[in-house]
Amino acid sequence: MDMIANWLGNTPDFAVPFALAALGLILTERAGVLALGAEGLMLVGALAGIGAQLAYGTPGVSLLLAMAAASVVSLLFALMVIVLRINQVIAGLALVFFCQGLTGLLGTLLEWTNKPVRGLGAIELWPLSELPLIGKVFVQNPLVFLTPLIFLAVVWLLTRTTTGLRLRAVGENPQAADAAGISVLGYRLVAILAGSALIGLAGGYISVLSTKLWIADMTGGRGWIAVALVIFARWSPWKALAGALLFGCIEALIPQLAAAGIRLPQYFVLMTPYAVTLAVMIWVASGKQVSGSQPGALGVPFIREERR
Amino acid sequence: MLNTFMKRTLCAAVAFGLGTLAVAEEGKAGLTLDKPAKIAMLYISPRNDGGWTQAFDEARQKLEAELDTKIQYVESVPENASSIRPAVDRLVQRGANVIIGTAFGYSDTFKELADKYPDVAFLNGSGTTNSHNLESFYGRTYESQYLCGMAAGAASKTGKLGFVAANPFGQVNWTINAFALGAQQINPDATVTVVYTGAWNDPVKERAAAMALIDSGVDVLGQHVDSPTPQIVAQERGVHGTGHHRDMSEFAPDATVCSSVWVWDRFLAPELKKISAGNWVPPEHGALLSMAEGGTDAACCGPAVSEADKAKIMAAREELLKGEKKIYAGPLLDRDGTERIAAGEVMADAELWQMDWFVKGVTTQQ
Repeated sequence: MDMIANWLGNTPDFAVPFALAALGLILTERAGVLALGAEGLMLVGALAGIGAQLAYGTPGVSLLLAMAAASVVSLLFALMVIVLRINQVIAGLALVFFCQGLTGLLGTLLEWTNKPVRGLGAIELWPLSELPLIGKVFVQNPLVFLTPLIFLAVVWLLTRTTTGLRLRAVGENPQAADAAGISVLGYRLVAILAGSALIGLAGGYISVLSTKLWIADMTGGRGWIAVALVIFARWSPWKALAGALLFGCIEALIPQLAAAGIRLPQYFVLMTPYAVTLAVMIWVASGKQVSGSQPGALGVPFIREERR
Repeated sequence: MLNTFMKRTLCAAVAFGLGTLAVAEEGKAGLTLDKPAKIAMLYISPRNDGGWTQAFDEARQKLEAELDTKIQYVESVPENASSIRPAVDRLVQRGANVIIGTAFGYSDTFKELADKYPDVAFLNGSGTTNSHNLESFYGRTYESQYLCGMAAGAASKTGKLGFVAANPFGQVNWTINAFALGAQQINPDATVTVVYTGAWNDPVKERAAAMALIDSGVDVLGQHVDSPTPQIVAQERGVHGTGHHRDMSEFAPDATVCSSVWVWDRFLAPELKKISAGNWVPPEHGALLSMAEGGTDAACCGPAVSEADKAKIMAAREELLKGEKKIYAGPLLDRDGTERIAAGEVMADAELWQMDWFVKGVTTQQ
């Protein structure tokens, strides 16, 4: 019973970075920009967050700076895909390698590696935190409780506002959007910056609130998992949140099983999150495709007046 | 980093297991440098990575003082030939005639470069290849981890110990078994529950593993992963821990009671002097260094270990240093009761690298 309570209590810590990164990706990709750089931008957010935390020690400020840093670095990606119209797959991959090198170098030069920081204390959502079994789910750091609100805000923006409608139009059919007088490149730039800020927040969450220290390449492929989550959620924020929770559940379960001494083949257990992702993707792909599918112009650079 | 250690270990196991990669050429004279030694080091990671490479960099500084020389170094050289070759070529062009590598993944390229530059002495930490001018070396980490196990057993109130490990390889499993055997010297009923993270340097997984172990009632955490995360978690949760690579009391002054630390300078200083003296013949299968030979040592003990227990640990350390005590000596049974080492025998190095069994009291998922 204790094991289940601890397992559920640890799940949000794993799920939140996936969820925020996936949300950032959805925001960018709904505007028609294929963003594969999440892994790199998470590293930028993680490093900036730790740097700010070491300097000022205020988690709120550190997380905001993590978001800002990721946005600033994403300007480079925006330059490549919006202005220079470089292939978005290649630009995204290049961004990841660039960020890995940059953060590794800065972390070493500034001596931020392996320096523990104080994170944020947990707050309790009373009386939910008194519930049996699931009580620990409601004893988390404040950003965990903010995450659903961030999701609500982004979904509201995308589906209930003119701005969101225009952003999606740019992603579905940029020629039509352009004819309607919407600035395609402007919307794409804003989508990249805003999405990257959320991805940076995911990175900052990992370093400032979760591990409370920086190590080169510490995101360990979590950005790639977020990319997969977006595909499996068919660019729907709520499905991405559900996917992140599923993934977080499995990741949190692995050490609990081991600590309980339950004998299972090691490599099978470590493989399960990825196997489940694959299985769900296959299941989703084989079903009937409903609304909220892949944006029509995803990955296609916009050139005005170009014939297709 | 992850791949580095994984590959390093796998191949080390293969090389030491087969032991046929390098055969010393009989009758051939050893290597004599034609100029005074000019030493250069190649690091796999940044020099201040907090663990493996930082231990080498600390050794470099001690060597510079002891040998009264400058030692050049190149940081973050990845484990592929196209990165290693130009770095070494450049160093040799600048006159370096002793090259020290720090990664398993350098093994093959170092072998090739050792053939290309027969007048240059090559050394490689955690490498697997050897030749007439190339020596690979690694430490018998189970000796220092045994002492950390004793400290853990002494610091534990419940006798329930945990261990955060990277991957179930021989070189990791030997530290787990030694940790358990050491703990049982102090508390015969001590148990060790192991969580493998499947990664060498993933603080997210290490934190989850440490939390899960503490939640399950463990009050001392051993570790064989690269980051200090398990120690930091132990400090946060008010329990104790033992570190690996370097003295981790730096990160968790209240929690860390002992650390298995690399002391490469104790091996490299005499070895470099031997190379300078001339007629250097590297050992056929490389060097697997005991504590006495300068591989690892234990930084001990934190305040949670009583003076009486500390005396026991220091006595055991002395015995290890004198070679009177062998950790993997028979009779030794595994947890299922199968005899793994017969009475009066000491486990061979090849078998050590392949260790896939656990002693009594160890719980793993395998």
